[in-house]
This record gives sequence, C-alpha cells and structure tokens, in this order.
Amino acid sequence: MTTTTRPGRRSFLTRSAAGGLAATGLGVLPRTLLAATDNPGADAGPARKGGTLVATWGGLEPQALFVPGGGGSSPFQTSTKILERLLKLDANLKFQPALALSVTPSADFRSYTIKLREGVTWHDGAPFTSEDVVYNVLQHWKPISAGIALKSLTGATASDPLTVVLSFNAPVPEFFLNSTLAGQYQLLVPKHLYDGKDLITNPLNNTPVGTGPWKYGKWVRGSHVEYLRNDKYWKAGEPNLDKLVIRWWSDPASRGAALETGELGLAYSNPVPARDIDRLVKTGKVVVDTRGYQNTAWTVTAEFNQRRDIVNRREVRQAILHAIDRQFIVDTIYYGRGKPAIAPIFSSNPLFFTEDVPRYAFDPKKAAALLDAAGLPVKDGKRFTVNLLAAAWFEENAKLGQYLKQALEDVGIAVKLDSVDRATALKRIYGDYDYDIAVSNFTSPLELVPTVTQFFTTDGIVKGAAFRNATGYSSPEMDAIVGKLAVETAPEARRALAAQFARLASTDVPIVPLVEIQSFTLAGKKVRNFTTGANVQGETLADVWLQA
Amino acid sequence: MPIRLILRRLLQAVPLLLGVVVLNFALIQSVPGTFLDVMTAEQQVTDPALIERLRVTYGLDQPPAMQLLKYIGSVARLDFGYSYRHNLPVLDVILAHLPATLVLMLASIAIAVLVGMAAGIVSAVKVNTWWDSAVSAFAVLCFAAPSFWLGIMLIILFSVKLGWFPVGGMVTIGLDGGIWRQALDVLHHLTLPAVALGLFYSAAYARVMRASMLEVSRMDYVRTAYAKGLTRAAVVLRHILRNAVLPIVTLLGLQLGAVMGGSIVVEAVFSWPGIGGVLFDSVMSRNYPVVLGILVLSSLVVIVANIIVDLLYTRLDPRIKAA
Repeated sequence: MTTTTRPGRRSFLTRSAAGGLAATGLGVLPRTLLAATDNPGADAGPARKGGTLVATWGGLEPQALFVPGGGGSSPFQTSTKILERLLKLDANLKFQPALALSVTPSADFRSYTIKLREGVTWHDGAPFTSEDVVYNVLQHWKPISAGIALKSLTGATASDPLTVVLSFNAPVPEFFLNSTLAGQYQLLVPKHLYDGKDLITNPLNNTPVGTGPWKYGKWVRGSHVEYLRNDKYWKAGEPNLDKLVIRWWSDPASRGAALETGELGLAYSNPVPARDIDRLVKTGKVVVDTRGYQNTAWTVTAEFNQRRDIVNRREVRQAILHAIDRQFIVDTIYYGRGKPAIAPIFSSNPLFFTEDVPRYAFDPKKAAALLDAAGLPVKDGKRFTVNLLAAAWFEENAKLGQYLKQALEDVGIAVKLDSVDRATALKRIYGDYDYDIAVSNFTSPLELVPTVTQFFTTDGIVKGAAFRNATGYSSPEMDAIVGKLAVETAPEARRALAAQFARLASTDVPIVPLVEIQSFTLAGKKVRNFTTGANVQGETLADVWLQA
Repeated sequence: MPIRLILRRLLQAVPLLLGVVVLNFALIQSVPGTFLDVMTAEQQVTDPALIERLRVTYGLDQPPAMQLLKYIGSVARLDFGYSYRHNLPVLDVILAHLPATLVLMLASIAIAVLVGMAAGIVSAVKVNTWWDSAVSAFAVLCFAAPSFWLGIMLIILFSVKLGWFPVGGMVTIGLDGGIWRQALDVLHHLTLPAVALGLFYSAAYARVMRASMLEVSRMDYVRTAYAKGLTRAAVVLRHILRNAVLPIVTLLGLQLGAVMGGSIVVEAVFSWPGIGGVLFDSVMSRNYPVVLGILVLSSLVVIVANIIVDLLYTRLDPRIKAA
C-alpha cells in the first residue's frame, strides 16, 4: 500500500536496508544467480489491470527521449520505460535480474561472465542477444557513457548468443560492476539499428526501440510523450497499465494543481516546492513518498577553488565552514526537507557511511578566531574578499548564495556574489575555474567510485567536464585511497577505505556537501506500486497499477 | 497599390531580419557558456577527445564571425540550421511549436481587443460616472496583475476549485473523436491561458479606446451629426467609433511582438506547448540556432502583421494613403 511519510521513516528504511546489506555481505550477490527477494517497496494486493497513468517529474522536457551519454534525469526517465539495463537495484538495495540473469566474477575478479535472459525481443521483433550487449559495452558505454567506470575494461566478447564475458586489466569489485550495470547510463540499445551510425546524433534517440515494457507511441514536443503497452514483454502479464504518459509542466505551481485535480497521477523528484507538500497532502488527494532515492542522493555543495589565494589554505576553508549554520539552511531554505550533511558519503548510504569524520559545528566566534590565527585579521572593515558564485539552476542555490554572503560577512569576509544561469555556471565553475567559492550540487549513488570520488582525485580534474573535480584539489594520499577503493574486492576492506576517503575529504574540505536534500515523490491516492527500486527516476513503471 | 506596398515592406524586412540575426548572435556570443558546455554537462561527457570531436562536429571550433557568416548563408537558403539539443532541424522544432503559440496569441489578442474596446467604449460613453471609474479600476488591475499570477489565480479558481477547465496542456491526451470534438477540446484548454494573457493587454486597449473616443467626441463633425438629429447610439456607432478605432489598430500592430513575449510566461504556467518554452530553454542552453530561428520567424510574423495593420488603416480611413 502506498504510504505517506512519517517522522523517522527515511532513517528507519535506511537502517533496515543497512541491516539487510550486512546480512548479505554488504549487498554482494550470490554469484551464480542474482537473488529474487521480496520487495518492501511494493504494495500488497493483486494488481488491477488497465488504465492510463500520467506521470511527470520536477524538471523540464528532455532534449531527446534517449540521450546516449545519460543526459540527466529527464531523458533518464523517458528512456527507461523503453530501454532496459542488465540489472536493477531494488528498494532493499539488492541487485535483481533484468536483462541479465547472472553476473559472475572470475576468481581474480578480472573477468565477469554475464548470462542473459532468454526469449527477449526488441520492439521491432529482432531477438536480443549477446551481440547487442557487446556493442553497447564497446561502442556506447565505454566511449560515451561510462568511460571512467569502465576504465580498466579491455574487452567484451560474446561466447554464445546468451553469454558475454567482460575482461579487465585490474580486479573489479563486484558491487562496483553491478552498480555500473544497473546504473543510470548503462541502457541497452539495439545493435542492428545503431551499428555504424553516430550514436549521439542518431534520430532514433527521439523514437527509441528497446526491450522494455513500453513501446514508443507519440511525442508531442512541448507537451508529453505517450507509451504503448509492449504485449510481448518478457515479464508475462506486465505492464499492468494500458497506457503510460509522461507529461511536462514547466511551472511547479501548475504541477501541484494538476495533482490536485487528478490530471497528473505521479510526480517524481521534488515536483513542487517543499513548502507546498503539506498543503497538497492535506487535500486528501495526494500522498508523499520519500522512498526510492537511495541510489540518487542529492546534495548542495560549497566548492573551494584551490587555484585561488586564501581559499587554497586548508585552515581558511575549515574556518569558513564554522561560519555556516547548516541547520539554518535546512530549516529556512529547504523548509526542513533535508538534513545537514556530514561528509561526501551521505547518511542514506548504508554501505559506506561513517560518522567518524571531522565536523565543523556552527561557531562564528571560532571561525573568526581561526581566521585571526591564520594571519587574516579584520583590516579596514574586512579580512579579505571572495568571489562567491551560486549556480542558480535551482532557486535554493541562489538563496543559499545569499545566506553564505551574509554568513561570511558576519565573520569579516567580504563577498562578491554572482548568481548565474546554468550555462554561465557550467562555464565559470567547470570550464574557466572562475570563482573562489561555488555553490553547486551533486548526486551520489551508493557506489562511490567514480561519481563521488572523482570530485577529489587528480584524474577527476578534466577542464570543461562538469560535475568533476573543478576545485583542482590534488592529493597523493587521496589518489592512493581512491585507487585502492577502485580495485579492492573484499567488501569489509572497501568499507574501511571508504571511511579513510571520508575522513580525508572532511579534513581537507576542497568540496563540502552542506545539506543532504530530501527527495520526494507525490502521487494520486489510487496509484499503487510506484516505488520498487533504489532510483525511482529509472522505474520502468511496468508494475504500477491503478486502484479502482 | 497594396501589392506594391506589401512587396516593398517585405523587401524592407530583409535588412531588418539580417539585423535581428546579427544582433542576437552577438548577444548570445557575449554571454558566458556555449551549447557544448551545457551538452557535455548534461550528457556527463568527460573524455577531452570526445569533447573536441563534438566541438568540431558542431562547428564551435570556428571563430564566431565564421559561425555567423555560415549561419546567414544557410538562412538565405531557408535552412535554419540544426538543433543539437533536439536532434532535429531547427525549422522542424519551430514548426512543432509555433502553431500552439499562434493560436494562443490570436485568442488572447481577440479577448484583449474585444474586452478592452468594450470597456473603453462604456467608459467614454459614461464618462465621469461610476461606470467610468469601474472601467478605470478594471484597467489598472488588469495591467498591474502579472499574467503569471493571474494565470495561477485562474487555475486555482476555475480548475482546482470549480473543476471547469483543465490545469494545462493543449489537448486531452488520448481523446478520440472528430475534428469538431478536438477543436472544442483545444478551445476548452485555451480558455484560461487566453484569458490570462488577454486580460493583461485589454487594459491598454480600454485606456486608449476611452481617450480616443473622448477626443473624437469633441470633433466638429460629431457636433454636426448630433445637430442633424441623429440618436446618440447612431452617432457613437457610425461617426465616433469608426474614427476612434484607428489608435486601436496602431496599438494592435505594436503589441503583437509584446504578446508573443508575454505568451512565454503564460505558456509556462499553463504548460502550453508553444514556442515560449523552447525559446527559454534554448537561451538557457545557448542553443543559438534555435534562438535565432525563433527570433527570425517571430520577426517575420510581426512584420507581416504590421503590413496587415497598414492595409487595415487605409481601409478604415481612406484619407490615409499607403506611403
């Protein structure tokens, strides 16, 4: 049954999941068969067949229905109804078979054998085979969508129509590889339609052909995309609905109104401002659910440019952190829908989270004292001036920029604040490195390598590449820890390395998560079974159903 | 005469359109960030070689002047370029959205003109009465209320509370039926956004109509008409209105561009699948072929509309000759 959020629900789920993971060896799967388990996120009761669901998310229309490099959350949602992945990470944080039945490592973890599901066909009727997987590994994932994750990949071969062997030049942790295969960017496209053509600009990306429960129906640009039932879907009986529609409301207030009138049935990823949630729930027509975001935890960050004087000094960064009241940010900017972040590994990550890290409690007097001790006393009314850049792609970031300006000025630091649009922010932060302190965001999956670690490693410094190491932080010690984390295959040893990573990151603080932002879904009361995975944005919605 | 006028005006439009392209290209170039910055960020592209390949593929390795010249050359061949973001030719992107915007513009202008003129006439005929004050208050309110706020208020009242109109979109998804049923469905969806946009602009028409009516009322020929023994209604309808309407026609021509701009906001509130959302997104993603394409085509729409206004002028007042 669909549930509304209750106090402590998220932490309860997190602890439950943590217990489950500990019991199964930190989420590592039985090697020959990916376990089918009960799904606590599923709603009980027989699914009712039929009906149309209109769904949306808290953002805009995608640029294409499928974007080979990933393309962010919007195309991720539109493409995952049609295109599938090899594995799925369920709400219990266990990998479930999707197009792969099993993923088995060799004894030295330098190769993996993938057994594929039998009898799967593409929507045009062609059979899905190991050749498709090999094509995607070599032509899609490795060069475009998962270059860093598959850095050590040396080959992919099809040993028979349903078996693929991946070879690596270094040991690859099992959780890491499974996370990659179940990841946001590892969708499978048909080789027979893409081979020999440019994957990125292929017109087929607007009308994808996949193996999923939904077939492309119609895309009315600026309005919605319609999906038709795939009657030959490999999972017999699904999808439950006759039709699925993803529609875009560019204005959050309209999104809330559409939920209220029933024109919209399901809305993922913070579709309305946090302040509107309680009002909508009180109407009795809408429920809120915070499940399903474990693998896409969301944060707002402060990034300190190591190329700039003063903020390149660790003691200054640490002092500045003491001037910031994170609880105030949660309460006022996020309306309580979040919690102060502790470290780059979030508290919602039961696999790697540790509390054993340096903390920077809000203490302006201590901040001032530390700055004095660093030889930066107040002179002529200020200690020094920083250029603070707020990437205002979210209104909360702009507000946070204003708060930080005030907070830093309270301890004598003059601030020149720029709140800029998306393209400007991307260029200034990740292209030109033109800032002292930047307010930005990142999303963190459970597996830290490479999505989180690349903010801290030397090889994460790629000029012009967004959401990487833009601060220029480079530490041999950090590189060594992450290097080991990438190849360590023992789960307990990985956990210890992750703790080392978190402690060093929280000591050197080149980039600091300030708030773990709570993600939420809103749904009409009759919508059932809409959260069954660890990343709801990528749900196929095959098992969703509508109560009479 | 009108044909010569039309041809001359269309020829005059060529340097104007060239100016639009050059100015807007320069404006987009002057702001930080390129399409590739946004695209590589969205697509999580990190490989420097791939980024460079994309830069060459999309011509971003060329100097801006060369990019502009190439663009002008392709527009001259009626090729508006390719939208990397949409994976479609720019013209296809525009044609997919323009009809919705034109429908919204026409409906809102019709509401603005009809409501505004009616209010202005009442105000002028009942000058210095409470009718006049009420119309003035109405005009001030309509003009002061931002159309996005008015849109949200209309949604709360007529969609959420009363359930009379849909919250957004242009059609009911999956609606079957003949062309009339579908047309009525579009009309149903169109009502609130057209009212939200139309009421805002009706304020100007009301004020201009009132002033114009009062001015014409003081003319000698109006006094003569009364002296001939005509009824007040006849004088107002046959003598005052026809001459007082000329400033309204002028305003109509001037406001077309503004209505198109205003529709961007209303389209966002009502999820109207028009060109506004595409333009906004294209500016934000620095997708300049689409931005320029929309601006060129919308400039053309305004130019053509102004030619129609000029023709109307000569029809309404034969003393005005096409210059």
